[in-house]
Amino acid sequence: MTTVINKGSKAGAGSIDATLKPRLRLRTPAEYTAWIIAILVAAGILASVLTNPNFKWDIVGKYFTHESILRGLMLTIFLTVASMAMGTLLGLGLAIMRSSKIKPVALAAGAYVTLFRGTPVLVQLIFWFNISALYPNLYIGIPFTDIGTAIDTNALMGPITAALVGLSLNEAAYMAEIIRGGFSAVGKGQIEAADSLGMSGAMKMRKVIIPQAMPSIIPATGNQVIGMFKETSLVSVLGVAELLQSAQLIYARTFDTIPLLIVASIWYLIMTLLLSYPQSRLEQKYSHTSVRVPRKSKKVVLTAPEGIAR
Amino acid sequence: MSNDGTILASRIRKSFGPKTVLQDIDLDIGSGEICCIIGPSGSGKSTLLRCINGLETVDSGILKVNGDDFGYYETEHAYHALSPKKLALQRTRVGMVFQQFNLFPNMTARENVMSGPVLVKRADKKESAKRAQELLTSVGLGAFGDRYPAELSGGQQQRVAIARSLAMDPEIMLFDEPTSALDPEKVGEVLTVMKELAKKGMTMVVVTHEMGFAREVADSLLFMDEGIVVERGDAREVLANPKESRTQSFLKKVL
Repeated sequence: MTTVINKGSKAGAGSIDATLKPRLRLRTPAEYTAWIIAILVAAGILASVLTNPNFKWDIVGKYFTHESILRGLMLTIFLTVASMAMGTLLGLGLAIMRSSKIKPVALAAGAYVTLFRGTPVLVQLIFWFNISALYPNLYIGIPFTDIGTAIDTNALMGPITAALVGLSLNEAAYMAEIIRGGFSAVGKGQIEAADSLGMSGAMKMRKVIIPQAMPSIIPATGNQVIGMFKETSLVSVLGVAELLQSAQLIYARTFDTIPLLIVASIWYLIMTLLLSYPQSRLEQKYSHTSVRVPRKSKKVVLTAPEGIAR
Repeated sequence: MSNDGTILASRIRKSFGPKTVLQDIDLDIGSGEICCIIGPSGSGKSTLLRCINGLETVDSGILKVNGDDFGYYETEHAYHALSPKKLALQRTRVGMVFQQFNLFPNMTARENVMSGPVLVKRADKKESAKRAQELLTSVGLGAFGDRYPAELSGGQQQRVAIARSLAMDPEIMLFDEPTSALDPEKVGEVLTVMKELAKKGMTMVVVTHEMGFAREVADSLLFMDEGIVVERGDAREVLANPKESRTQSFLKKVL
């Protein structure tokens, strides 16, 4: 007995072969409704933004590239880069400490992370700015000897220093968790293989664990950079003339509060978008492969042999 | 007399929490002996192997590898754990091949093979590369040195893993179900490499389900069940005429 599969049932003359007809997506009334509502709302907002004179777009334009705004932007970028760099290094140290087999070391790192993640950054920043109330003098020297000098904490802990210290120490706690998460993504078998070859703890960390943890650490770090960029606005409370504070200083004089906040916001948005591009590239690069495909090698394309159902 | 390549165990016990996985295990493996350990899953055979390499520690009993107490030193009243350095040194003399290969994915096949000598023994890089090439050739992968593990088949990866262990010049090689994660058609190429190794007089302990390999290559055979060595003896003898009923019923199912 044979069965004939009827491939192309032609609906009529001139129509396409049924096997070649495109398959169309279902469009529900809900989708059309959503489009109409969204367009109406967008048009309403746009009209309001363009016609409301209180936005003062001419003032936004005037201050957009104002010298002190640009200087503030530079300081914001500096704070982001510097505190991310210090935070990552410190976080790496904390992550290594936290995975230590020596209990007090792991506990100390755990306590640090709990403390710095459990309190608001804003509070931490103000705390470091006022640290001189706690320790008026910093004494640097060799313990139990007379050698050393005292430093006035107030002079040392200026607004920018306090900002850097506060942001870095806080970031370190978050980076420590990200890096530790990356470590735990490395398979147990890898560690056993390294152990069975007789690798020391530090060697294992450097040659086996960290290289393999990178794919999960790097994209998360990119996210932290973007977050940090916006987080720096908090240090305006310390009087650091970063982007937000620069805008605030101007509107304190001119009372153009909204236009200057828009100026700052647009700059934050531009920088975030600029950072988002490399970030999404990084995520794409690392998301699919838990195993690193070597840079130089050709892409291996897996194709199923014909006749095998997938 | 040198004790290199010997494993001696007496009344080894090991438990994970309330579950006893090894009960009074005795072992006596001579230099150059090929010992296969068979048994159902959960019988403790992998755990026993992992103890010999220090991936697990035994709770009590004597364990001497290459003639030395493994991982511990004995005093009048107790066994004291060795420093990580001394333990690492003992481990370099025992090679381990895993079911899941566990090659380092961030290194090429050659770098994997070189990793032990260069990173642990601080051997000269050029010398190690040359030796790695020889070892890769000996497992039939001379042309694959620059490939990354992700670009190799399971059988090829396992052969690289064997070469990586051999690069440390161990006296003993342990194999933990080395062919269980492989496609059936790739099993042979790994077993061939292991047979070659056996001919060279390496002491080998192999946890396996490959009864054919056990019959052909093994000197002694251990049948384990529920943490106990149920039956032991000459490999071909045990496989052909198992004495214990538990062994008989197991072999009936797998052969």
